[in-house]
Amino acid sequence: MKQLLTTDVARRRLGACLFLGIVLALITGSTGTANHPFHAARESLIAVRVIWFLLIGVALWVVWTLGTGPGASSVTRARRAVTNAVQPITRSKARYGGYVVLLAIAIFVPRTLPASSSYLQQALFSGAAIYALLGLGLNVVVGYAGLLDLGFIAFYAIGAYVTAYLVYTGKELHSGHTPIPWHAPFHLNGFFVLPIAAAAAALAGVILGGPTLRLRGDYLAIVTLGFGEIVQLLAINANGVTNGSQGAFGVPPLRIHLAGIHYTWSLDPLPEYYLLLGIIVVVMIAFSRLERSRTGRAWAAIREDEIAAAASGVPTTRYKLLAFAIGASTSGFAGVIFATYQFFNPQSFSFQASILVLTIVIFGGMGSIFGVVVGATLLQLLTAYLQHANVVPAEDSPIFFGAIVMAMMVFRPQGLIPSRRRSREIRLAEEGVGGADALGAAEGVS
Amino acid sequence: MQIRRTTAVVAATVVTASLTLAACGSSKKSTGTANGNNGGSKKTLEIGFQGPLSVNSPQLGLNAEYGINVAIAEANAKGDLPYTLKIKTSDDQGSPDQGPTAAKALIDDPNVIAVVGPMFSGATKASEPGYTQANLLSVTPSATNPALTTLGFTTFFRLIPNDNNQGKGAADYIAKVLNAKKVFSLDDKSDYGTGLSTALEAELKTDGVAVTHDGINPTKDYSAEASKIISAKPDVLYYSGYYQDFSLLAKALRGAGFKGTLFSGDGSNDDQYISGAGKTVAEGTYLSCGCGDANSDPKAADFVKAVAADNSGAKPGTYSGEAYDATNSIISVLKGLGASPTRQQVVDAYKSVDYTGLTKEVKYDSTGEIEGNAIYIYQVKDGVRTVLGTTGDLIK
Amino acid sequence: MSGQEFWNFTVVGLVSGSIYAVIALGYTLVYGVLQLINFAHSEVFMLGSMGGLFMARALLPAGSPSVVQSVGIMVAGLVVGALSGGAAAFALERTAYRPLRRRGAPKLAYLISAIGASLFASNLAGKEFGRQDISLSPVFDYNHVVFTIFGAAVRALDLVIIGVGLLMLLFLDRLVAVTRLGQSIRAVAQDAETASLMGVNVERVIITTFVLGGLLAGAGGFLYAAKFSASYNMGFLPGITAFSAAVLGGIGNVRGAVLGGLLLGLVKSYSTKLIGAGYVDVVGFLALVLVLLIRPSGLLGERLGRAA
Repeated sequence: MKQLLTTDVARRRLGACLFLGIVLALITGSTGTANHPFHAARESLIAVRVIWFLLIGVALWVVWTLGTGPGASSVTRARRAVTNAVQPITRSKARYGGYVVLLAIAIFVPRTLPASSSYLQQALFSGAAIYALLGLGLNVVVGYAGLLDLGFIAFYAIGAYVTAYLVYTGKELHSGHTPIPWHAPFHLNGFFVLPIAAAAAALAGVILGGPTLRLRGDYLAIVTLGFGEIVQLLAINANGVTNGSQGAFGVPPLRIHLAGIHYTWSLDPLPEYYLLLGIIVVVMIAFSRLERSRTGRAWAAIREDEIAAAASGVPTTRYKLLAFAIGASTSGFAGVIFATYQFFNPQSFSFQASILVLTIVIFGGMGSIFGVVVGATLLQLLTAYLQHANVVPAEDSPIFFGAIVMAMMVFRPQGLIPSRRRSREIRLAEEGVGGADALGAAEGVS
Repeated sequence: MQIRRTTAVVAATVVTASLTLAACGSSKKSTGTANGNNGGSKKTLEIGFQGPLSVNSPQLGLNAEYGINVAIAEANAKGDLPYTLKIKTSDDQGSPDQGPTAAKALIDDPNVIAVVGPMFSGATKASEPGYTQANLLSVTPSATNPALTTLGFTTFFRLIPNDNNQGKGAADYIAKVLNAKKVFSLDDKSDYGTGLSTALEAELKTDGVAVTHDGINPTKDYSAEASKIISAKPDVLYYSGYYQDFSLLAKALRGAGFKGTLFSGDGSNDDQYISGAGKTVAEGTYLSCGCGDANSDPKAADFVKAVAADNSGAKPGTYSGEAYDATNSIISVLKGLGASPTRQQVVDAYKSVDYTGLTKEVKYDSTGEIEGNAIYIYQVKDGVRTVLGTTGDLIK
Repeated sequence: MSGQEFWNFTVVGLVSGSIYAVIALGYTLVYGVLQLINFAHSEVFMLGSMGGLFMARALLPAGSPSVVQSVGIMVAGLVVGALSGGAAAFALERTAYRPLRRRGAPKLAYLISAIGASLFASNLAGKEFGRQDISLSPVFDYNHVVFTIFGAAVRALDLVIIGVGLLMLLFLDRLVAVTRLGQSIRAVAQDAETASLMGVNVERVIITTFVLGGLLAGAGGFLYAAKFSASYNMGFLPGITAFSAAVLGGIGNVRGAVLGGLLLGLVKSYSTKLIGAGYVDVVGFLALVLVLLIRPSGLLGERLGRAA
C-alpha cells in the first residue's frame, strides 16, 4: 500500500488532487470586486477553511490511488457488481422491462414531489422535457449523421413563431395586440399547427442544408452557428413581423374539443409535461426504428467515412438533408409546445441555448436516444436545483454547472449512457486501435 | 476500464463534497444577513426576490438584492414585526424561459408572502400568470414595458414609471428646453431599450424634431456606431439602455470628437456611468428618470453605507433604491396585518399602500402603475449627478 | 457614404479588425495542430485582459503619468496581459484537453469540455473580480490625432493597437516559418504521427501552441480593455467574431487569420453605417457563408503546415 502511494503517477495525482482542493476553496469562497482583485482569493485561500479543502484533496487522492491498485478495491468491485446487474437490461428482452420501469418513473415520480419543491415539475416540463425533445432532434443530426450543428435552436424559434402566427384566439388581447403583429387571417387549434410547424422547420433545414452540406466538419459548424445567429437577429430586428424584443404574449394554450372531450392545457406544468412525455416516447420509438433502418445505416456509413459511403452508392447529400430535415422538424414540434405554454421573446433562441442542446446530446451520450433524454433531465434539473435550492449563490451556479460538464467529459468522454457503437469505438481508441472519432476525419493526435 | 470507473466515482464524490461545502458556506451567509434575528423564538416569513442573478446582467439582479437585504435587515433590527423576515431569492436568468420556474420556486414556499420582482419585462410577462394564479403580490422595481399593466395580471404593481411616461417626458425636454432640431435615438435592442426608444421617438416626432433611429446589441466596441452617429450630426444623442453600455458609448463618441449633447434614461442613471466613462466624458450628460432626488436626500448616504454593511462591501447600483423602496413598502403594509398574514391579505392591503420611500412616494393607481409619475431630469455637473427638476417644472 | 466617412469607417474597422486578428491566431494555431475548435479561447482572452488591466491599474499614478511612465505602464500591461493569457491557456490545456487526449476521446467531447471550461472560467472571474465593467483611465492622450488619411483622423491609441497587433503577427509568422519550434509545429500540423516518429515531442508542441495563442490573446486583451473595458463576460462576442475570422481566412492558416480578422472588422464597420447596427452580425455571417460556398476552405486555404 505504501509503495502505491509513492509512485510517480501517485505523486502527480496528489498534485492534481491538491489543486482540485484549492479550486474548490476558491469557488465556494467569498466574492470580490475589481478594485481589490485578489482580495476574495486571499480570503478564500489564506484562511483556516483551506485546510479542510486540502484534506478533501488528500482524501480523494487516497481513494483514487488505492482504488486503482492491483488489488481492485471494494469500490471497483461494487461498481462492477452494479454494472453487471444493469448490463442485462441493456442487452436482452429484459431491456423492454427496464424501459417500462423507467417510463413508470417518468410518469409517477413528478406526481409524488412534495409541494415545497413543485418548481421541479415546472423545471421538468419547461427545462428537461422540451430540451429532451430538442436533444432528440439534434441527436439525429450530430449523433446519427455526424454533422455538427451549432445553431440548432433556430428551428425551435421557427416552430415557436409559426405557432404565434397561426394560433390566436381570433379576438384581440387586452392591450389591443395580437401575439405578434403578423398573424394569419384564420386561426387554428394548436394541435393542427404541430405538423405545419414541423414542416416549416424541416423546410428551413433543407434551405440551410442545401447549399452548405458540402462543407465538412468545422466549416459546417460555423455556418450553422451563423444561421442560428441570423434567425435570432431577424427575430430581434423585424419588429413589424415578430414584435422584436417585446416578444409574443398571449398565444392561446393547447386545447382539445373532440368527441365530447374538452380540455385546455393551462398554467399547470404537469399536464404539459405528460403531453410532452407522450410526444417524446413516440419520437424515441420512431428514432430507434429509424436508426436500425436502411436510412440509419446510411447515416452511420456517412458518419464513419463519407467518401467510402459515397463510393458504395449511398446518396450522401440526400441522406444528410434528410437528417437535417428530421432533426429540424423535431425541434419545430418543441417550438409549438413552448409557444402555446408561455410568453417568449428572441432571448429564448440564443446561441447559448444551441450550445445547451449540444451539451445535452454529448453529455447524455451521442447517438444514444436514451442517453439524450437522461442527459437532458439530469442537466436541467441540476440547473434548476443550483438556481433555486440555495445550495450555492445563484450567481455562482454557472461555475458549478461548467465544472460538472467539464468533469463529465474528462472522466467519461463517451457520455452518460453511450450508444453501444460509440462505447466500442472509445474502448478501441483507448486500447490504441484506430481513432475514436466518427465526426469528421480522425486526423492529428486526437 | 476499472480506472475510468473509479475516477468517475471520485468525480461524483468531489461534486457532492463541493456542493455540501457550498451549502454550509451559503447558509452561513444567510444567517449573517438576517442579523436582527436574536430572539430565536419568532417564526420566519420570507419576501421573495425574482431577478437575473446569473447569465444575463446578473449585476442588475444583485443591485436589487442589495436593496432588499438592507430593507429586511432594518426591519428585523427594529423588531416591531411579530416575525423575522428573510429574503428568498429565485434566479430567472433575466430570461422568459426561466421565468415560470423561478416564480414557481417562490410560489411553492408557503413562507413567501410577497415578491419583489421580476426585474426584466420579458421575464415578467412569462412569470406573472403564475403569480396571479397564486394570488401572490409582486412588485417590480424595474420592469418598465408599458404593456405589463394591461395584460390582466391582478397581483402586479410597478414601482417605477413606465417607458411611455419617461419617453414622453424626456422627448418634451429635448424638444422644448434643449431646443434640439435633430436627435439620434439609439437603443440596446432589449425589451427595455426598444420600449423606451419607441415612446421617445413618437413624442419627438409630434414635437417636430427630426429623429434618426438605430439599435445595437450591447457590445464593448462602439467605435463604428460612434462614427455613424457623428456623421448624422445630431444635436442630441439619446441612448435607451444600461449604464455599462452607455459609458462605453459615451467614451467612444467623445473620443471620436462628438460635440452634441449626451442623454440617457433610468437604466443609465447611476454613478457608475460617471466612473465608467470618466468625469470629463460624462460631464454635461443629461439623464431622465422616474426616480426622485435620491442624492440630495440625507437618507441616501445612510443607504449607501447600509448596502455596504449588509452586502460585504458592495455599492448600490441601478434599481437598488427601487428594490429597497419596494421591500419597505411591502413591510409597511405587513405591519397592519398581524402575526400570520395571508397572501390574499397582503395583495389587498398593498393596493392602498402609501409609503414615502427613498426614491419616491409609493402609491398606485387602479392598474398597478405608480402614481405621481413625474419624470426628473438629471445632469452630470462637476462629476456629480444633480437634479434639475421635473420635466413639468422645467418645460414651463 | 462620403469619402471622408468611408475612410473614417475604414480606420475604425482596421482597429477592431487587428484585435480580432490577434485573437483569431489562437484559434488558428490550435486548430492547425489539433484540428479542434478551442472554444474556451475567448476566456483566455478575458483572463489576459484582466491580468494586464490590473497590472496597469496598480502602476497608474494619481496624477497624469509622464511619458516614461506611460510607456512603462503600457509595456507592463502588455507583458502581464500576455503572461496571464499564456498561463490561462496552459491551465486550460492541462485540465480540459490533455486528459481527454489521453483517453482518445471523440472530437465533440473536447468541444463540450471546452464549453464547460469556458462557463467555469468566466463565471469564476466574475466571482473573483466582480461582475461590473472594469475600465482603465487613460494612460496617455488616447485621442490625440496623430495624422489624418483623407480627412479621417488616426488617433494615438488606434495607432498603438494596429502597431502592436502587426508586430505580434509578424513575430508569429516568422516564428512559425523560420524557427525550430515553428518547424515542429508545422510538422505536427501536417501529420502528428509521423512527426512523433521523427523525434518531435508532440505533447510539448501542443502545449507550446496553446501557450503561444494565449500570449497573443492576452496581449490583445489588454489593448482591447485599454480601449474599451473588461468584464467577466467580455470574451464571447470578440471570440465568436475571431473564430469566424479564422474560418474566413482558412482555419489553421496564420496569414489567413490576419486577413480574415481585418476583413471582418471592415465589413462590420461599413455595415454599421450602411445597413444598421442591428444587422451587423447578419452581414458578417452572410459574408462568411458566401466565401465558404465559393472557397470551401477559406480565403487562403487551411493547412498550417503548407501555407505558413
